[in-house]
Parts: sequence; structure tokens; C-alpha cells
Amino acid sequence: MKRRVVITGLGLVSPLGDTPDQVFESVMSGRSAVELWSDDEIAPPAVVARSPFDVSSWFNRLQLAGVDRVSQLAVAAAEMARADAGLAALDENSGVYVGSGMGGAAAIEKAFNNHLESGRVPPLTVPAFMPNAPAAHVAMRAGIHGPVFTYSIACASSAVAISEAAKAVSRGEIDYALAGGSEALLVPSVIRAWQALQTLASPTGDDPSKACRPFSKDRSGLVLGEGSAFLVIESLDSALARGARIYAELAGSGISCDATHLTKPDAAGQVRALHAALRDSGLSPTEIGYCNAHGTATLVGDVIECEALRQVWGNDIDQLAVSSTKSMHGHLLGAAGALEAVITTLAVARGALPPNMNMTEQDPACGVRVVTEPGTPAPDLKAAISNSFAFGGTNAVLVFRRID
Amino acid sequence: MNTLEELKQLIKSSFGIEPKTLKADAPLADYGLDSLSLAELLFAIEEHFNLDFPDDRADVKTLAGLAALIDELKLAAIA
Repeated sequence: MKRRVVITGLGLVSPLGDTPDQVFESVMSGRSAVELWSDDEIAPPAVVARSPFDVSSWFNRLQLAGVDRVSQLAVAAAEMARADAGLAALDENSGVYVGSGMGGAAAIEKAFNNHLESGRVPPLTVPAFMPNAPAAHVAMRAGIHGPVFTYSIACASSAVAISEAAKAVSRGEIDYALAGGSEALLVPSVIRAWQALQTLASPTGDDPSKACRPFSKDRSGLVLGEGSAFLVIESLDSALARGARIYAELAGSGISCDATHLTKPDAAGQVRALHAALRDSGLSPTEIGYCNAHGTATLVGDVIECEALRQVWGNDIDQLAVSSTKSMHGHLLGAAGALEAVITTLAVARGALPPNMNMTEQDPACGVRVVTEPGTPAPDLKAAISNSFAFGGTNAVLVFRRID
Repeated sequence: MNTLEELKQLIKSSFGIEPKTLKADAPLADYGLDSLSLAELLFAIEEHFNLDFPDDRADVKTLAGLAALIDELKLAAIA
């Protein structure tokens, strides 16, 4: 039998701050953390969204041996989520589910630089960059002895991780899950690789903080971001029994794969994930009031996503408010689904619609109702979805429902 | 600065441990170095002194032992 699953803890290290309140307030006010990164000697300029982070609050210098930034961020975010949920001890009845697109990018870059320069490669390069290092560090820090899994599915990594965690809790396999994602790849060689792919937002505008413009006619591409976000997931019965604060119900999820193209999205595949998510949650389209869109602000991606939403919502499309908060915090890739899950959870919990910033003129090909104003209240918001659509074709949709 | 003092400075810059608290003959494990941090220290030593530890000699457990090994390898490099 399926158990109802709820979210009782939130933690994050994001470009917009490291407390859920602060991040949600920033989002609602329309503040952007996007800035210009420029080092002419290493790579052409790019716009990025970095996460302010003081590692000394979480690791001493000895503990940092072989710990890449991607794992540092994960430990901090996961520990804050666990504390937020009021959970002291976790054990073999708990699991860790982490999404990460790349793993330890800084460790990989250092290894290659050393290989070409001195020929001496740091001895802990491998454990530092392995994609499951963040999950392992989270498990060690929290003392979790159950399933500890890593999902590397590009931009859908952490949405899939959260979906898998919720299923494990729902089936009764574990009592608690720490589920989320971490990404830290803002190093010159990786930025160059993304530049080579011709998908990044132009850094040449007057105001770099407005470089990411989802659904806007003048959008020019995505903005890379870094950070980590985690949710504590448990059954509704468990949360009620221990008197935990419940942010929202994780009502369901839907996963699909386009299986058509490595990088080009496909509306039919996204429609399948949206339908699966609605079916899993038992909700109809008109019961969903808000969509935190994948909305990376690429020329192709935004149009396809709107097409998919229109196909599913049909004549009711105007009842769905849509925004891409990536306009403010950038694209956290493997951690994007987790950060946006935190934002969508709070949108549902507080009855408010996060805005889609920097849309100067809506692209007519993106025919959905975009939330353009900061601070839009939505007291009647009962449920919301968060979309994560990945390179490789995997689509993940999470459904969040208000708990009254 | 002799090799032992240089080593202490290197440990300070790598791990933030104050040189005056480090005893030459105490096991490095006493200062919290585990297998991972020790591997990083040996790498930092190789970089700093521009030498390579032979695989069969990288198991030195104390600062005095490490300093002696470094001096030996430096001499061998000159000779």
C-alpha cells in the first residue's frame, strides 16, 4: 500500500542565500544573483550565479582532504535540512538520494592541469570527483546506513532523486529520506565547455544580473549556477506522530524519456511526464495553480516546454501560472530540481507565486500565463508542479500539494 | 630553515595546525591526520620539495621520520 509522503525539512546553499526564508523572500522580491565572471586569461567572460559559502562552518582543514566543493555544499545543505526537520539521529531506516550532473569539477580540472604542468596529480582526485561522493559525505555526516544513491541525469538529476526517495518512503522501504542535489562546476574549463556548446546567455548586456530571460523574445540562453538543496521526506503518518512541521505533501511525480535527441527537447516526451505526474498524484490539470518551469531561457527549450504545457492543460492553460526562477538563481543543473523543489514547496506552503524576471517582451511562441510581477499572492494555491527536463531526454515532473 | 621546520610550516598551510604544537617524534595520527589527509600531506611535500617518494618509503609515521626521508631524497637527487 502506498503511504502519503510529506516534506518536513528544507536546507540549501544557493546563489540567493542559505536559509529557506531568505531564499524565498529574495525570489518573491525578484532579486537576481546572476553576475559577470571575467578572467580574460583563462576563458571568455560569462554570466554565472555563484553560491556564497563559508566551508569552515562545516569542515575543519583536516576533514577537507579529498572533499570537492560539490560535496561540501551537499553536506551543508543536507545537514541544514535535517536540522530544519528536527531529526537528531538517522540510521539504517533512512536513505540518501542525491542528484549531481558532473561530480567534482574542480578536482577534475586540477588533476588535468597538474597532469599537463608538473605531472603530479593529487592523490585524492578520484574520491574527490566521483559523482557519488556528495551522497557518501552526506551519509557519513548524518550517520545514515540505509540506501545511499546518486542519480546523474543532467538537469533532471535531483528531481529524479527526489522522486525516487519519495517512492521509497511511500513503499515503506525507509522512514526518512534526505533527498536533493548538488552541483559545483563553475571552473574555467567547464565554463569553456558550455560556451563551446553555444547555449549560454550572452554576457554583453548592460546589466549582467538580467542576462537570464526565460520566455522573453530577446532571451539568449542559460546562466550556469552552483549550489545544493535538500528536502527531508517522510510519511504523513510519521510526521503527524512526531509532531513535525509539514511544509507540503509530495503528491506525486512523473518520469519519461524523449528518446529522440541528445540535447534537443521534445514536447511529446514532456507531455508523457506531465501526464504521469498528474496520474500519480491523482490531480487534474485545473487543480494545479502554479508551474515552476524548467525554463532555462534557451531559444528552443522554452518554446517546447510551453507547447507541452499547452497540450496538457488545453483550454485551461490560462489557469496555470508559470515562472522560471532560474531568471534569478541561474541553472543549477544537477541541483536545479532540488532548489526549485524547495522554492515550489514554499510557494505552495505560503500561497505565493514566484515571479519570472527579465521578460522584456513575451515570445508569442511561449503562450503560457507568465508571472511577471514580484510579490504576487495566491492564497488559493492548492498544488503546484516543478519541471526538470534533461540533456539525454529524461523528463521529471514533481507535484506538491498544500497540507491544510 | 631546516627541513623539520619547513615541514611544520607546510602542515600549517595545509591543515591549519600550529607548528609549536607539533612534536617531531609523535605519530602524525595524534594530530588528527588519517589516511586521506596523510596522502594529501605527502603530495604537498612532493610539490614543495620537488621530489618523489618511492612507493616503498611513503609509510613514515612521524615528522622526524619524514624530515629524514626528505633530506635523504634531496641528497640522492643532487648525487
